[in-house]
Formats: sequence, C-alpha cells, structure tokens
Amino acid sequence: MSGNLTERGLAEPRARRKQEVAALQAALAAEQAAIYGYGIVGAHLTGTLFAAAFADSVEHQRARDSLTAMIMARGGQPRPAAPAYRMPIAVHSAAQARSLAIVLERQVTAAYLGLVALAKPALRRFGANQMRAAAVRSARWGARPQAFPGLPASSLGR
Amino acid sequence: MRGHVRAEPTRRLTLVAAGACSLALAGCKGLTALGARPKVDEDVIALDHAITAEELMIARYRLALAALPAGQHHAGGTGKAKAGGPDRAVVGALLAEHKEHLAHLRARLILPPRLATASPQPSPTPPAAPAAPHQILAELAAAEAAASDRLVSWLPEVPPALAQLMASIAAAEAAHVVHLGYARLAP
Repeated sequence: MSGNLTERGLAEPRARRKQEVAALQAALAAEQAAIYGYGIVGAHLTGTLFAAAFADSVEHQRARDSLTAMIMARGGQPRPAAPAYRMPIAVHSAAQARSLAIVLERQVTAAYLGLVALAKPALRRFGANQMRAAAVRSARWGARPQAFPGLPASSLGR
Repeated sequence: MRGHVRAEPTRRLTLVAAGACSLALAGCKGLTALGARPKVDEDVIALDHAITAEELMIARYRLALAALPAGQHHAGGTGKAKAGGPDRAVVGALLAEHKEHLAHLRARLILPPRLATASPQPSPTPPAAPAAPHQILAELAAAEAAASDRLVSWLPEVPPALAQLMASIAAAEAAHVVHLGYARLAP
C-alpha cells in the first residue's frame, strides 16, 4: 500500500485484501498477547477459577487459529507471537490475576474494532462476535459494566 | 419502464417513474411534491431500528426498577452481584448505560428521527414486567441477549464507524447478561 489510497484504489480486490489482512493481524497480535497473559493468570488461580482461566485461554487459542487461517486464505503471512510480553499489571495474587484477565479482555475487545469496520459482512460479524465474547469473559472476571467496550474514549467525544 | 412491463401505466406508476427519474437525475431534492417517496437507505433503517431497540430496552429497565422490591438494594452496593443476585444498583447502572447507548445512536442520525413520521416519542410498550425479582432479571437478560444478536445482524447495512459503535453496544449488552446474574462465574 503506497502512501495514499484513493477511493478507487480501495475498491480494487488486492487493496481490499491487504486492508483485511492488516485488520486480522492486529486482532491476531492481541490474541497472542492474551494467550501469554492467561498463562500468568492461571498460574495464580486454583480450583474453579483456574478452570475458568484455562477455558478462556482455549477460547483465545481458537480465535488465534481462526485468524491465522483467515490471514493465510488471503495470501498473508501470520505474524508469529513474541517470545514474551510485558504485562500491564504485576500479578502476585488471585485478585491481581483476575484484574489482569480483565485488562487482557479489554485489549482483545479493542483489537477487533478494525475488523468491524471492513466492508465484508462476514468479517464484520466475526469481529463483533469476538468483541461480544471478550466483553462477556471480562464481565465474568468481575469487570464493572462498561457502556462502550472496545471504543476509545476519543471516539465518544469524552 | 421497459417495453416488457405489461401493466397499463397507471397514474401512480407514472409518478413513481417520474420520481425515479428525478431521483437519478437531480437527487430528488425539492421534488417531493411529485408524490414519489424518497427511498430510505438501508443504513438509516438499521440505525432507526437500533434506536427503537434502545428505547424499548430503557422502558424495560424502568419497569423492572419500579417492580423490583427496595429490599433488593444492598447498602453501598457497587455493582458486584452478591449471593442473593444482582440488586437495584446493578439494574440502575445498566439502565444508565442504555441511556448512553441511545444518546450516541441518536447523535449518528442525521435525518429527522422516526423518518419523519408524526410521533416524536413512540413510547414503545414492552410486556408488563412480572412480579418475582428473579423473573424480572431473567426477562431483562433475555431481552439483552436478543438485542445484542439483532445489532450484530444489522452490521452489514451500516457505514464503518456506525458498525463499530453498534458492535460495541452489542458487546455491552452481551456483558449485561452476565451482570444480571446469568452465566456468572460460580464463586
């Protein structure tokens, strides 16, 4: 994509595919970070909470696999996960582990916004469904209600 | 309008044809006196549906708040569901979110609301809320899940920025189901 995209350029299938791959890569990166983060979350939990963290981690792995396949189907090269990720909060207790899970889910929710803005209905729906799943997981981990999950405050005129 | 249209050209058809032509040629500004209705775009219809859905949800929450016993309120309740189920504070917080949803959806509507029909306040009438608290919350949760699904189904019709807003609201509504005490983490 050379610098400025004209409207005519966007209508071209190749340019559209590139745009789709870029949005899919952004979501993939968030899922990879979440999978890494859930490893830390699970390490600080036991019993049913550990089971919940494990189940959520599996959901993120499924999403990662779907995104990987979608990128490859469009001729893209899925970006590999980083060997390690810096977590936004330090985790030394079960309560902090739950807080981290909430932060991870919020990051994932926001990362799917790009897919929702694409022209293809199937990609919009996929993105929206992943946003819903992340918001539900976040609420299950004890997050307070949030009126506009994933949307940056700037887009809401706040 | 081609030769294979067998029906006799009635006055209405002629007007529609005239309207269609003027739509194509002049963008139909100021030509509404001809009698042809301007075509409403799919995205406007989807947004209008979303606004109506939020109005209905707000009405549901107001009914629920009126019906929930005051005893459900825990002093200093911060929105965390206790063992007894979500209290009035939770329902009130979710109602406030729906009001925010409605305000942001209305801000995206450029045409006059209700597509220029006569009633500015449509006062949607949800079914009467049943008495038992758990039933009230169950009804709200079911309504939230259905509203979330409908929003996602309208996504293909709307422009990108509105799709993002609607997807975010759909996510909030899906989370509301959890906040209302359904599909909640066990301990």
